[in-house]
Amino acid sequence: MIVFISGGVRSGKSSFAEQWAKTMAGATHSLHYIATAIRADEEMEKRIAHHQQQRKHDRWQTWEQPYDLDHIISMFSKRDIVLLDCLTNLWANELFRDHIWDVHGKVPRIVQQMKQLADKVKGLIIVSNEVFYDGIPNERGTYMYMHGLGLLHQHLVTLSDVAILMRYGLPIVKKGRWPCGVV
Amino acid sequence: MHFVSGGAFQGKRKWVNAHYSFAHTPYSWYCAYENMFPFPHDETASVVVLEGIEHWIREYFFPYTDDEKEAIRSYMCAWKRWEQAGERTVVWIGCDIGQGIVPIDAHERAWRDMVGWTYQQLASICNRVDYVWCGINERIK
Repeated sequence: MIVFISGGVRSGKSSFAEQWAKTMAGATHSLHYIATAIRADEEMEKRIAHHQQQRKHDRWQTWEQPYDLDHIISMFSKRDIVLLDCLTNLWANELFRDHIWDVHGKVPRIVQQMKQLADKVKGLIIVSNEVFYDGIPNERGTYMYMHGLGLLHQHLVTLSDVAILMRYGLPIVKKGRWPCGVV
Repeated sequence: MHFVSGGAFQGKRKWVNAHYSFAHTPYSWYCAYENMFPFPHDETASVVVLEGIEHWIREYFFPYTDDEKEAIRSYMCAWKRWEQAGERTVVWIGCDIGQGIVPIDAHERAWRDMVGWTYQQLASICNRVDYVWCGINERIK
C-alpha cells in the first residue's frame, strides 16, 4: 500500500504521516523511518538530532538514505511500515548529485524504486512538499527540479492507494479513503 | 467555455488531453510559450485549447492598466461568441501563480495581480472550471 502525503511548509504533514504509520503498524508491525537529509552543516545536524529525539519513544528504526533507495530495499519485509520523509530532499540529492540533471532518466528510476519498496513492505508512506504555486521558474536548475518533482508527484499519486493534501493540519483526501483510527 | 488551472507541473495539459479524448476529436492547440495568442475568426476546429494564458498576459498586456483589462475582456468575449455560434468548446489553461511569496519587484507583483484578475473573469464567464493537482482534477464550478 502506498500513501502519498503532500502539503506546504508547516502544514502538519510529517506528524500526520507518523500518526498514520503508527496506526497502520498497530502492535504487530515494525516502524521504519527513511531520513533523506544530508548532514551538510551544523543546522542540519541539529534538525536531525531533534527529529531523532522525537521519534525515539515510538520504536522507530531510522535509515539514513539521502539517495539510492534500492540499496536498502532488501532489508524490508511484509512486517514493516516504512515512512519516507521527504521526497523533496531525496529528489534534490538525486538530481544534483552530478552535473547532468537528467530528469527523464532519474524520475522513472526513483518511481521504480518506490514501487519495489512498496511491493516489499506492508505500507509505504511518502511525504512531499507543495512548491508549485509561484509560476514557472526561469533559472534552469530550479526549472529542472520542479519539472522532475511535478512528474514524481503525478506518478506516485497514480501508484498510490491514498493521496492526501495537507492544509493547516487538516488532511484533504484527493484519492482513496483513509483508514479508521487516524486522527 | 472551460477554464483549467492548477500549479506548475501538475499535469494540466495531460488532463485536458485525456478529458477531451483528443486522440479522436479534431482540435486546435495554441501554446503561449510558443505562439502569439490567436483570434477566433480563422478557426476551423471545434475544440480550441489556449494554453499558458499567464504567459500571454505577461508578454502582450503590460503595463496592466484598465485599457489592457478591457482588451483582455473583449478577447475572452470574442472566443465566447465564437463558441456560441456552433457546436464548439474553448478550453483555457492557466498556471496558478498566486500562492507564493509576494515578490519585491513591482512588475512581478503587478503581473500576479493581473493574472489573478483575469482568472476571476474567466471563472465567471466559463461554465466549467477545474483545478488540477498531481494529475487529479477537482471541479470547482
